[in-house]
Amino acid sequence: MAKLLKVSNITKTFGGIVAVNNLSFDIHEGETVGFIGPNGAGKSTVVNVLSGYLDADSGQVEMNGVNITNMKPHQRAHMGLARTYQIPRPFPELTALASVATSALCGKKRVNQSFEDAMVEATHYLEFVGLFSKRAILARDLTFYELRMLELARSLATTPKLLFIDEVMAGLNPGEARDAIQLIARAKEQFGITIFWIEHVMAVLMESADRIIAINYGEKLAEGTPDEVVNNEAVIEAYLGRGWKAYA
Amino acid sequence: MVDIELKRDRVTIRLKDKKWEWIIEPRYWRNSIIWVALLLVFPAVAYFISPGLINAMISANLLAAIAIPMSLMTLGTGRVNFGPNFFVGVGGYAAALLSIAYGWGPLATLPFAILITLFAALIFSPLVIVARGLYYVLLSLLLPFVFFEVTIIYTDIFKGDTGLFGIKPLLDLGNARINFLVIAYISIVIMVLFLWIINKVVKSRYGLIMAAINDDEEVAHGIGVNINKVKILSFVFSAGMIGVAGWFYAHYFSSFAGQTYLTFTFMLKIFLAMMIGGRTQIFGCVVGGYFVTFLEMILIRTMGPIQPVVFPIILIILLFALPEGLFGIYRKRRYREYFPTIHVRR
Repeated sequence: MAKLLKVSNITKTFGGIVAVNNLSFDIHEGETVGFIGPNGAGKSTVVNVLSGYLDADSGQVEMNGVNITNMKPHQRAHMGLARTYQIPRPFPELTALASVATSALCGKKRVNQSFEDAMVEATHYLEFVGLFSKRAILARDLTFYELRMLELARSLATTPKLLFIDEVMAGLNPGEARDAIQLIARAKEQFGITIFWIEHVMAVLMESADRIIAINYGEKLAEGTPDEVVNNEAVIEAYLGRGWKAYA
Repeated sequence: MVDIELKRDRVTIRLKDKKWEWIIEPRYWRNSIIWVALLLVFPAVAYFISPGLINAMISANLLAAIAIPMSLMTLGTGRVNFGPNFFVGVGGYAAALLSIAYGWGPLATLPFAILITLFAALIFSPLVIVARGLYYVLLSLLLPFVFFEVTIIYTDIFKGDTGLFGIKPLLDLGNARINFLVIAYISIVIMVLFLWIINKVVKSRYGLIMAAINDDEEVAHGIGVNINKVKILSFVFSAGMIGVAGWFYAHYFSSFAGQTYLTFTFMLKIFLAMMIGGRTQIFGCVVGGYFVTFLEMILIRTMGPIQPVVFPIILIILLFALPEGLFGIYRKRRYREYFPTIHVRR
């Protein structure tokens, strides 16, 4: 498997707090990487640094061999990076179709795409996440689950190579969560994307992830297959706790 | 190079690897044609009733011609600029000073007025990147006042205390009434042109991108919008359009004074025109412009000197009573649009 993203020694501090400390990892093409850690471990900071919202203090991020450390978020989006947000952030005054069409227009550069073509393309992504019937509804009137799905459609419409998913399960009931997992699995299959998945629900990652990276205090605790990571002493000590399987 | 093709109901324009489609739908033209026809008939009718009415109409058209680009600026930058009259001042002073210094006519000063306004806007455009929220409001509010101070400090150039006189008039056809009539038509052409251009922009992909920026800048950045470019371009080009109104004022009255255009009262009139029609509803700006002008006419006749006090009160009442504006009522009743309503939230 070819290396898609190479993160080497990134460090990010906020004042005196070290949020990410000398973290390095690779993401290979076509895999699903889980990313776990206790609250405040720096998971979201890592995603913010990788997607360009925050500048790393030191270290380097490479995508497909191109150094993207100093690129702005929109340039990274053109390179094929997309993300979803922990709390859904829709465009409240735009309809579902219009918000997906925006990312179809602005994401990775397409040849010969007019505004109307983008609208047609957006319907495809809306259909994929099951929001076709809600296409003309303003995003502020959608339910929480639909917002999550809209956000997924919006990210997929930029035609990413690598998708950062930030806690997609939070706030969903078990039925919705199952739908969401299946949808992400289908998206991975159909669009050929690589997924970097932050999640607190271990059962989800055990099922979907090929590899899990666990961090604490901004430092890497463990990395390996799901089974290796959940049996790692340091991870159990810092995050999972003994007897976690009873709750998962 | 540019490949234009008409197929069924749409014109397809191709340039390199880009493609634009322009859908031509005559069945939706009825309302626009009716309104433009009314606008064209109105001055001709007013010509026989009273020339004062034509004068009011010219002011209304110009107010709308400022409020329409102002809506675009508000939409594209995602911020409310509280100093649109700054660009009126820049365009007007540029036209006035050039006309007085070199004896140029209106056609010669127009390109320079636009260029100078664009340049001034470009200088101040970093504001839309560095400042947001209340800070942007304060900074943009300061611009016209600072410019007004400058005109008073350098009074030998700008004649800040008395105003500039002796600018070449816009038209001179010999007959004052016919002059008025033709000037009214010129103002209508400017307004309708702005309306048409900006409507096209708002309905195109760029309008959608601007709406996204207006809703959430960071997310728009994340999905691949070059937000700084879009914000600066919409700021600068709307400013250039507002500068045209300044050029018109200077040549229309043959005089230009910061006292009239760079003050709070004039800014309030622009805002009233923008808000009454509906926030960033560009068609509402026309309604708003006419409403404000005729309201002012009535207030001056009935109230006299306390008229400036009444204006803000009416503005506040209307903002509470009609949060969506007059055009908002129409839209709510006949909501059948495919595209979203684009509001300004900040």
